[in-house]
Amino acid sequence: MSSTEQGTSSAAPAEPTTAPESAAAPEVPESFYYVHGKDKVVHKVSAGALQHSALIHGMISNLGYTEEQAKANPFPFENIDGDILQMVVDWCNQHKGKPTPPEDTNLPKQKEKLFDLVLAVNYLEIKELLTYCCKQVAMMVKGKSPEEIREIWMIPTDAEDEAAEKEAKKRAGKEAAGETAAAAGDAK
Amino acid sequence: MPIRLLSLPSKDLQYAINSMDLGDVIALSLCSNRTKNLVKDSKRRIEPIHAEVYGNRIRFNISDFQELQNDWDQDDLDLGDGVDNEFISLDLFDSLINIHRANEIEVWRRPEFAQCDWIVHLLSIFNESMIPRLRISDSCPIEYMNTIKQIIPKCNSLEIIRPCSNDVARKAFLKLAPIAEEVNFEINIFDNDNDISKFLTLNLNSVNFIDFESPFKLELSDLLVSNIDHLSIRIVNITDKELNRFAKLWMKGSHKFYRPKLITLVLKREMDINKEEVLKGIQYEFVEESTHQYRIRRGDGKELSIRIFAYIVDFEFE
Repeated sequence: MSSTEQGTSSAAPAEPTTAPESAAAPEVPESFYYVHGKDKVVHKVSAGALQHSALIHGMISNLGYTEEQAKANPFPFENIDGDILQMVVDWCNQHKGKPTPPEDTNLPKQKEKLFDLVLAVNYLEIKELLTYCCKQVAMMVKGKSPEEIREIWMIPTDAEDEAAEKEAKKRAGKEAAGETAAAAGDAK
Repeated sequence: MPIRLLSLPSKDLQYAINSMDLGDVIALSLCSNRTKNLVKDSKRRIEPIHAEVYGNRIRFNISDFQELQNDWDQDDLDLGDGVDNEFISLDLFDSLINIHRANEIEVWRRPEFAQCDWIVHLLSIFNESMIPRLRISDSCPIEYMNTIKQIIPKCNSLEIIRPCSNDVARKAFLKLAPIAEEVNFEINIFDNDNDISKFLTLNLNSVNFIDFESPFKLELSDLLVSNIDHLSIRIVNITDKELNRFAKLWMKGSHKFYRPKLITLVLKREMDINKEEVLKGIQYEFVEESTHQYRIRRGDGKELSIRIFAYIVDFEFE
């Protein structure tokens, strides 16, 4: 298993320190966790960066892993492509402990990846990034005609939708008939 | 590279639709029945649709809903400046529409769509049951009125405005007022040959006759034949004596089935109403002296509240 060290910079902890006495307080070492996608490449991410993801935050909040345990048990996200997970990790690191701006200029520009990114971000429950991605999706069709939108977003025509529906019904009917026949066979 | 929009989780899909510009949302709604329903489900908030008739086409003016922060914003909106609001116009023809947006005109075609289908589609995606505002002026040909009535079954407010010939205004009122919840007739076309009583006898919900340049001439007989639930005329020429006679005739109860619920008359500014003259010879009681409201009651128990303030008089029938 290969590994990349993401988010390893000695950035300040997520919680901003405003009171003067807190500067004097002993620094709490930042904890790190590990995630990997479909490509098994492991990314090291700080707990602060991972707070953006409601899913991961929920998973780690009560784990109390030591560094070694976290390293030995990376969170597997087999349904997310490695490069997409990389984008998500980069975004989380860039926005660690910062309020998210109304417009995000750091959002990946690759439109071909946008769809997979939306799915991943939705799965990982990263609300702010999802907002930016959906805006990016909307921007893809700015000023376009219905025909152009249909092409860009691969929207089936009504006839295609009807044909697909018929096909799905037919398939469901066949499956139901197959199950009935199997059940009758079992009964014999 | 294209993406499969409809495969997105429904919540994300709705969020993406909510992030789209108004014109793009309308374009999306025309892609298929599924996308039409998605747009409908997004419950996009818009300002009331404003329809105008130009020749043989109907123009829909649509703009995003403008959240007002305070009264000053309302002033800005009225003045038409300082408000960043996406606004588009759609000219509806049979089988195509011209969409005006971002200083460009595009043509979108749906060969199977007639004008009425475009109207139904646009109202449907914005969850409107009827056109909120329909405006008629000289740009509407008289011979097109019948078609309008056929393709627009109902509207909230019908506005007949200047510039408008007497013929167009008369025809528009007589033809289209019955499809409207409220009519704003903003031109005085009435004279000796063409009196207002024909218009007042129509069985309508609410009509506002408005003309500040040319006051409406109103007689007692006009008020007595009115069949309009809520009638407002501003500004109007009528004498205090006629108002007094109107109240007395109502007292006599000869108009048992008088339909109006409220008549509001706004007189010329320099011609304040003399309440003693209006209530002369009538037994009345104060409803609220501070609001200049008086009540008269007739033998059958029916009541009429008369509110007189400066140059405005309200008759409210209970």
